Amino acid sequence: MSNPQVELSIKDHGTITLELDRAKAPKSVENFLAYVKKGHYDNTVFHRVIPGFMVQGGGFEPGMAQKPTAGEIENEANNGLKNDTYTVAMARTSAPHSATAQFFINIANNGFLNHTAPSAQGWGYAVFGKVVGGTDVVDKIKAVKTGRKGFHDDVPLEDVIIEKATILSE
Amino acid sequence: MTGPDFAEIVAPAAWRTVDLLADLHLQADEPATFEAWRGYLETTPADAVFFLGDLFELWVGDDAADSDGFEAECAALLRRAAERRPLFFMHGNRDFLVGAAFAARCGMTLVDDPCVLVFQGERWLLSHGDQLCLDDTDYLDFRERVRSQRWRGDFLARPLMERRALGRSMRTQSEHRKHDPDARWADVDPAAAIVWLTHARARALVHGHTHRPAEHLLDAPGNLRRIVLSDWDAAAAPPRAQRLCLSAAGAQRVDVR
Repeated sequence: MSNPQVELSIKDHGTITLELDRAKAPKSVENFLAYVKKGHYDNTVFHRVIPGFMVQGGGFEPGMAQKPTAGEIENEANNGLKNDTYTVAMARTSAPHSATAQFFINIANNGFLNHTAPSAQGWGYAVFGKVVGGTDVVDKIKAVKTGRKGFHDDVPLEDVIIEKATILSE
Repeated sequence: MTGPDFAEIVAPAAWRTVDLLADLHLQADEPATFEAWRGYLETTPADAVFFLGDLFELWVGDDAADSDGFEAECAALLRRAAERRPLFFMHGNRDFLVGAAFAARCGMTLVDDPCVLVFQGERWLLSHGDQLCLDDTDYLDFRERVRSQRWRGDFLARPLMERRALGRSMRTQSEHRKHDPDARWADVDPAAAIVWLTHARARALVHGHTHRPAEHLLDAPGNLRRIVLSDWDAAAAPPRAQRLCLSAAGAQRVDVR
């Protein structure tokens, strides 16, 4: 069983290819692929871009309307994978097992996001794959100008849109 | 809010001053520092106290405090102090094994590294500081190893006596590295500090670990500062025992007598 690959086509920027670690993060990978298959990520934006930290997306349409999601999934951050540069992880609220569709790409070695203990403070963020193509596109995204939009900080002033997410291999 | 972020501690409106301390390295062999700390806990007027890492020189497991001894004595002091004002404990590179059980026993709240203290209209980014010393790659590798669940589990499964012995030898290695004239000591990477401060929407980072107390203005818009806490050694000449007192007026170093 090889690792699935998903391609994100970013409008005016290029494509990002993700390789997903099914062995280490089976639930997160299955969850992510389900969203890809039903076209959830199509026409969503990277709505939270913080240089030196991470770029986050997959939840909102251009204009910041939130797309409905399926149920929350279990946090797999205790799988040994680290939030290193160009890994992709599930976003969530402060509740450890609250991830649904949103994900983020680390653009630094964010050690403080790693799992340290199965407690509210220590759970960390579940890494489920990495960027294997288009790191230059990620680098372009992280450099866009951001500002406040409504209740959200760090929002790109010009939308960074995932036009299409496609499964290259499953 | 969805997505990775720093943990926040929002100070109740009633707090007027908050003390920040780090690097006391409390140990049975340093009675002068222990006494200075005891006196401090009994007399500080602060509404809350944050220990920002290396409160203890060494910690090999919470069970070290189960029988009479230095750790139990510290626990008793902390517990008494916690009855008067909230105490917050952040792990350092020496006492990273302090667990939830011990913290609860002392009435202390464990806080993340880094975390943001929201107090008197300011956001203060708090950290022990070791994670930001990016050039200290050997240490960072070591840190990654020993902060893993697996390492922790393996270590804590050993008998206490064995852990004490291992702890002593780890300390000795660390001391040798520190006194090696050829070793370059690594300071906090300024660019990394700026990234953290920007993400935290804070204007000041307060940390310890380097034992080089100073205030650094960072090369970034917004008057971002990095404030380094003093370590404690009451037996040194001159003695060192200092708190950073936060208030509406800002941050002030206060020597502990």
